[in-house]
Amino acid sequence: MEAPDEQLMLAYRDGNAAAFETLYLRHRGRLFRFVLRSVKSRATAEELFQEIWMRVIEARERYAPQARFTTWLYTIAHHRMVDHWRRGGLSLVELDEQHDPPGDALDPARQIEAREAVARFAQALQALPAAQREAFLLHEEAGLSIAEIAAATGSNAEAAKSRLRYAVAKLKAAVEDD
Amino acid sequence: MTDERDPKVSRRYRELGAEEPPTGLDAGILAASRRAAETRLAPLVPPTGRRRWYFPVAAAAIITLAVAVTVHVEQQQPDAESITPPPPSAPESRTDALEAKKEDAPQASRQKSPAKPQSADTARNMEQPEPQARSGPDAQVKGLAMLRAERGAVEEAPERILERIAELRRQGKQDEADNALAEFRRRFPNYRIPEEMLKKVERRR
Repeated sequence: MEAPDEQLMLAYRDGNAAAFETLYLRHRGRLFRFVLRSVKSRATAEELFQEIWMRVIEARERYAPQARFTTWLYTIAHHRMVDHWRRGGLSLVELDEQHDPPGDALDPARQIEAREAVARFAQALQALPAAQREAFLLHEEAGLSIAEIAAATGSNAEAAKSRLRYAVAKLKAAVEDD
Repeated sequence: MTDERDPKVSRRYRELGAEEPPTGLDAGILAASRRAAETRLAPLVPPTGRRRWYFPVAAAAIITLAVAVTVHVEQQQPDAESITPPPPSAPESRTDALEAKKEDAPQASRQKSPAKPQSADTARNMEQPEPQARSGPDAQVKGLAMLRAERGAVEEAPERILERIAELRRQGKQDEADNALAEFRRRFPNYRIPEEMLKKVERRR
């Protein structure tokens, strides 16, 4: 039976480097995809991904398992993403009401290789307001519940549920157009 | 957990691919995590070098100091021989001193704040050695005199006492000699005074 995330993080907090490696390998893919699909550049995604894990390492001594480790990890990720958006002059609130036109968000080479439907879906995902996209990715990729999304993003459950429903509805429309 | 997933949307989302971070990035993050863990462990390493002597040396210093203070205090305790009688003006006993203090109290309360008599008492107690404070200086002096008298009586031979009485006779101190002889006979009722000495110590008629 695998050790729970919280137990691994506590072991790492107490100096067990191997515990962190297990934890990292367990979450690296999901977190990377969450970041990658939230920004428009792979280089930026890699930079943000690294910074998130560095914050986890730095915060290890303050870690207390009051919630799932996943919620704690994506709370850190959310704060880092907000910093990134603010630095770029964007904000979640503004983007929540803004409908970015589908455009050149994806690598053109991959657009060519990808199937048309998948490309349309990807474009639809990128077209989502940032808060809705974040809610969708936290639910679909990271496996967070409505309450956990609310906790990670510093919002309430109603707002999180609303964002998620809007996101799913728009993506469903994109899929049904195929 | 409320699942808001739509099966078609989820399937299409999975078709986007499973991108992963580059291995170089993994290595960098894991190396940083190991360095941080080592930093965390550093204080748990037992102290080495000079620091490992701190506790034993401190303990030895405390023990030495405690023994030295104990020996010093014992040496400072006055023994019975070293006690000197107090000056004539000093109170006769601790009880007298307390009574004298009570008599002074009204005056002190008129002149001083309530806290000052206490400090005066303290100073007074500090001026007197502790043994005197317990038994009174006069009683101790009397006790010492008795002790010395007893020691003298034990040590002085009857012959020596008789010689002193004879000396008193020669000096014409007849009453003193009579008293001393009577005392001698009380203390040594079975002592047979030689005839020669008897002539010297008895009053001639």
